[in-house]
Amino acid sequence: MPRTHIRIFAVVAVLALTSAAYAKGDDFNAVVKMIEQFYGVKHEGIPFLARAGMGAARTAARIKGGTARRFAEAGSVKLAVFEDQKFNGEFLKFRNTLNAALNETWSPLVQTVSATDNEQVYIYLREAGEKYNVLVITIEQRDATVVQVTLSPENLKLLLKDPEGTGKAITEEATIIDQE
Amino acid sequence: MKTLFQTKPGALLIATLVLAIAASAQTPQTSRLELSSLDHLAAKASQTVDVNIDERLMRIAAKAFSDKDADEREIKKLITGVKGIYVKSFEFDSDGQFTTADVEAVRAQLHGPGWIRLVNVTSKKEGNVEVYLLMVGDDIGGLAVLSSEDRELTVVNIVGPVDLEKLAKLEGQFGVPELGIEKTKDKAKKDDN
Repeated sequence: MPRTHIRIFAVVAVLALTSAAYAKGDDFNAVVKMIEQFYGVKHEGIPFLARAGMGAARTAARIKGGTARRFAEAGSVKLAVFEDQKFNGEFLKFRNTLNAALNETWSPLVQTVSATDNEQVYIYLREAGEKYNVLVITIEQRDATVVQVTLSPENLKLLLKDPEGTGKAITEEATIIDQE
Repeated sequence: MKTLFQTKPGALLIATLVLAIAASAQTPQTSRLELSSLDHLAAKASQTVDVNIDERLMRIAAKAFSDKDADEREIKKLITGVKGIYVKSFEFDSDGQFTTADVEAVRAQLHGPGWIRLVNVTSKKEGNVEVYLLMVGDDIGGLAVLSSEDRELTVVNIVGPVDLEKLAKLEGQFGVPELGIEKTKDKAKKDDN
């Protein structure tokens, strides 16, 4: 076998193994990386003030006597934010790539796409012992967020009854409320 | 002279044919519709919603709702036995964004064996609403709703035993849109189109 063919074979094998590892390992990071590669963008970590804000929000919930609903289980929020970047690309191709990568361990609950407004929302769900993991990916014209949280069975019911509304509330809780 | 069955290849061929016929006769009718032919409409739609509550999610849902609470017990009863809820909905900014061929690709599947169209259904929603049931013997094996308006196309597909009363209660939950469907009589008519 010519040396070039061996090299090509080796590269293909490594790529195949890497993509399989993507899906099976840390899916949150794999999705963030996938968005970065597909759209040529870069995510930002959670700013320090937002982390401090999370503590403040929890305190606020306690002061209100627990009336403020919180969806995510304490300490379960994983958040990646993409701000003021271009998300140009074929969304159908992106959706297929995303579904192919997550299909093995996650169920695609709801996927909402608006071609005219260039907005996409993907909500995936999987079991995590007695609780449930939810992955919400929101991509807009200039911004995007990837949120993974753990839900209690009680909050899962809300998600199943109203997937779109609850998915939006989960993202808002992770990005807006926690930063107030 | 040996008959076909007496020769080794002949016997194998006949056995294979018999097995194939038996297998095809036993294959259960599936009420899951193939809707990927509509995917291209997403590029033109102002809003596309895809709900995929597959068997795995239905199991999770059934487990999540408790028997103790009356409301939850009702929901649990509704979804028991249901193997999947699939919704594809497109909204457009202008008329004529989908064709008869797009709708026909779905309707053709609903003209397959076992499917009947209910003629005793009305919808508060404007536009054309068709409701189909998949009959497996005397039992309902699935349900499909095809709703089309000038700027909207929606397909709801429930896999497993479900009836219109159940569908009405599922509207607005589990991603099933409000279709305003009402059953006016009890009879279903075999679709002969």
